[in-house]
Amino acid sequence: MSDDYLSKPLSIGDNDLGLAPAPRQTIPKFQSPYLNYDTRYMRQAQPEFIFPEGASKQRGRFELAFSQIGSAVMIGAGIGGAAGLYNGMRATSLANQTGKLRRTQMLNHIMKQGAGTANTLGTIAVMYSLFGVILSQVREDDEINTVIAGTASGLFYKSTAGLRKCAIGGGLGLAISSAWVLYNLSGSKFNKNYM
Amino acid sequence: MEEYSREPCPYRIVDDCGGAFAMGCIGGGVFQAIKGFRNAPSGLQRRFIGSITSIKARSPIIAGNFAVWGGMFSTIDCTLVHFRKKEDPWNSIISGAATGGILAARNGVGAMAGSAIIGGVLLALIEGVGILFTRLSAEQFKNPSPHDQPPQDPSVLGDPNKAGFSFGQAPPSYQKDR
Repeated sequence: MSDDYLSKPLSIGDNDLGLAPAPRQTIPKFQSPYLNYDTRYMRQAQPEFIFPEGASKQRGRFELAFSQIGSAVMIGAGIGGAAGLYNGMRATSLANQTGKLRRTQMLNHIMKQGAGTANTLGTIAVMYSLFGVILSQVREDDEINTVIAGTASGLFYKSTAGLRKCAIGGGLGLAISSAWVLYNLSGSKFNKNYM
Repeated sequence: MEEYSREPCPYRIVDDCGGAFAMGCIGGGVFQAIKGFRNAPSGLQRRFIGSITSIKARSPIIAGNFAVWGGMFSTIDCTLVHFRKKEDPWNSIISGAATGGILAARNGVGAMAGSAIIGGVLLALIEGVGILFTRLSAEQFKNPSPHDQPPQDPSVLGDPNKAGFSFGQAPPSYQKDR
């Protein structure tokens, strides 16, 4: 072999991928053959990631749990704050409160209802994550775990409110988690890893 | 590995808020269970009911307070990262003190200062313990110094018969001088 390899992109065999030869470029005189190969040989079907040794490939439920709880708390605070704003407006205008009194009452309404809704949603999220993490430890992690964890957290949250309310809570959890799983299954296949 | 296992900065707020909420919910649940058990009227049944009532009434509130603390802390931390352009223990200490101060803002200047000092000292302790553990765990990965131990193979010192290099005078040779 002559020293032609310095100026030609590296290829294995005789163009065995059926590619057209790479276009010749003006290449500076001294170029390392390590930097000069046809990048079309590096095609990958999917992106590759490097994982630390021994680490599982997917982020599990435990890694996602804190973000889920945090978003539940923040969404709950937002919804509760908006509802508190509405309720406070109504209550203060019905009671003919104005000025400083109205402002303080509005703040009380917003903070109280916002904190209450945030706590409720966050507690449910904690229960869901707890059940989900336990289930994914016990059995393999799939969509059924999501449904079971949703139902169980609904049942558990209403477990002291009487049998009927408990059943309603469980049914609500079942409905929401099933809807979520169905939505993810019908959507893109990459989405289903993030439940 | 701490820097790589955590979320990048704006999303860290959500993560820390959730972690703090979970911690407060579970830890507060345990605490309130004991407290409700002790404060209930006598009788095991009543004590368990008191325990459950206490958990239901108080532990979400504790969790919410924890979540506010965590979210505020993380927000200030990320703000400091943005403006100081570095991540170091001082960020955590400053944001711990600031969080303690801000959340006690309604209680007067004295309470604010007290809370800020408590928050700063607490975070300084946490960071200090973290640095200590990093030092200790780094110790066992230290390579042994090659100068401290004798060479295992004496031949690396060269042929002892052939004095290739020596200080002072060359060794006298007795064979030719006779």
